[in-house]
Amino acid sequence: MSEKPHIVKSYEEQLQLLKNTIVKMGTGVEKQLENTIQSLVKKDISLAEKSIKDDELTDKYEINIEEQVVNLIALRQPMAIDLRETVVALKVSSDLERIGDLSKNISKRLTKIGTDLPNDITKNFEIAGLKASKQVNAVLNSYLHRAKDTAENVWNSDEEIDQMTNSNMEAAVKHLEKNKNDIQKVTQLLFMLKNIERIGDHATNIAEQVYFLITGDYLEGDRPKG
Amino acid sequence: MSKIKAENVNVYYGSKQALFDVSIDIAEKEVTALIGPSGCGKSTFLRCLNRMNDVIEICRVEGSIKMDNLELNSRKLDVVRLRESVGMVFQKPNPFPKTIYENVAYGPTIHGIAQSKEEMDQIVETSLKKAALWNEVKDRLDEIGTGLSGGQQQRLCIARAISVSPEVILMDEPCSALDPIATAQIEELIDDLKKEVTIVIVTHSMSQAARVSQKTGFFHLGKLIEFGPTDKIFKNPDNQQTQDYITGRFG
Ligand SMILES: Nc1ncnc2c1ncn2[C@@H]1O[C@H](COP(=O)(O)OP(=O)(O)OP(=O)(O)O)[C@@H](O)[C@H]1O
Ligand SMILES: [Mg+2]
Repeated sequence: MSEKPHIVKSYEEQLQLLKNTIVKMGTGVEKQLENTIQSLVKKDISLAEKSIKDDELTDKYEINIEEQVVNLIALRQPMAIDLRETVVALKVSSDLERIGDLSKNISKRLTKIGTDLPNDITKNFEIAGLKASKQVNAVLNSYLHRAKDTAENVWNSDEEIDQMTNSNMEAAVKHLEKNKNDIQKVTQLLFMLKNIERIGDHATNIAEQVYFLITGDYLEGDRPKG
Repeated sequence: MSKIKAENVNVYYGSKQALFDVSIDIAEKEVTALIGPSGCGKSTFLRCLNRMNDVIEICRVEGSIKMDNLELNSRKLDVVRLRESVGMVFQKPNPFPKTIYENVAYGPTIHGIAQSKEEMDQIVETSLKKAALWNEVKDRLDEIGTGLSGGQQQRLCIARAISVSPEVILMDEPCSALDPIATAQIEELIDDLKKEVTIVIVTHSMSQAARVSQKTGFFHLGKLIEFGPTDKIFKNPDNQQTQDYITGRFG
């Protein structure tokens, strides 16, 4: 349903601001994740440091969105689509905050172990990371454009990241068996690989919210699990 | 279970049609809320349910309205008996300029319900208790009803309506003149009454409809646009017009 504007303009503006804030927060989180992955790809630690620093802004956005949502509920008593818009914003912002946090966590580990890392593992990390980035980007687009199909696609593709993560972790353990000296680095890399998987999970959560926002229904069926 | 079943109800004021083919099933011992913009026909429909449109000379009601299989729209219907079983509470509290006691005793008197003074005292007390007014007025039953506060007057009117043990109570914007506390008291009362009585309430407050009712009907320009479970109507209505109205996008 494409909606007419509200009769009360200030209400319309408040809901619009909420949407815009989600999009801004999402764009920031996407950039954080991208910097994190590129830091490894380009062997440039300054990108990881930037991602860590930018997480502060992500946290601020989350608080700001929570304030907006509480105000809307208290002062406007949103109904139907507006209620979904409001509740979904709250949930999406908390998933975005988690994605930002996980990116920061990966970056921190990188700053600890440096970029001189076993190539076979970082290659895998890079592929999974880019896949997760794509998921985050797609789900934010589905939110921005109210695209139900895109949200469903994201939801259905999470399995790929899960499977990738499993085989990547196995490969990392195999590497370790042969290269016992890499234990420090590989342990950190295992966490980093796991974080990528969790980022994918949060993108999937957001996809569920976007689907609910658009349809008022919950995505049917078992959540794809790898 | 259905208490009142309206089928293809059309209402005219002179040549002007106010309701168009309204069909609705009102469930027993539930609260049904009717919402919609001003002039959409909510009060007109409510008045069909106790034949109050009879008193409007130019008003003509067509179609079938059955209460427990009794055709309410029949010429042969005993309208006095009907109004005993279908009570009404209006937007503006309208107690009679008589004592509190007499206000409540009025219905049971004209319908010959009480056999003795003791029985009447009992009915008055029970009705005032059910209307959550007893504690506030028990020591001043012989004071004039119109001397009460607005919220108290409205509860007095509800006590008056329930004094004859109606099966259905119709409420037309019963809280529009009340403060939030008095409103909450009436809403609590509605919750309580629905254990025994079927209630149909017209309200302009979306949040009130959401709070008190189990089913909600949305009227627009004399038509029943959407009717369904209240949570569905307010969370995810099927009809775009319903959504536009409840979210403040109308016009
Ligand atoms: N006594 C009457 N004589 C002529 N027309 C009437 C009469 N009562 C109502 N109408 C007309 O019937 C239509 C429905 O009116 P009704 O009072 O049922 O609306 P409503 O939904 O209760 O509005 P509100 O929310 O303002 O109380 C309106 O167009 C109104 O002008
Ligand atoms: Mg009216």
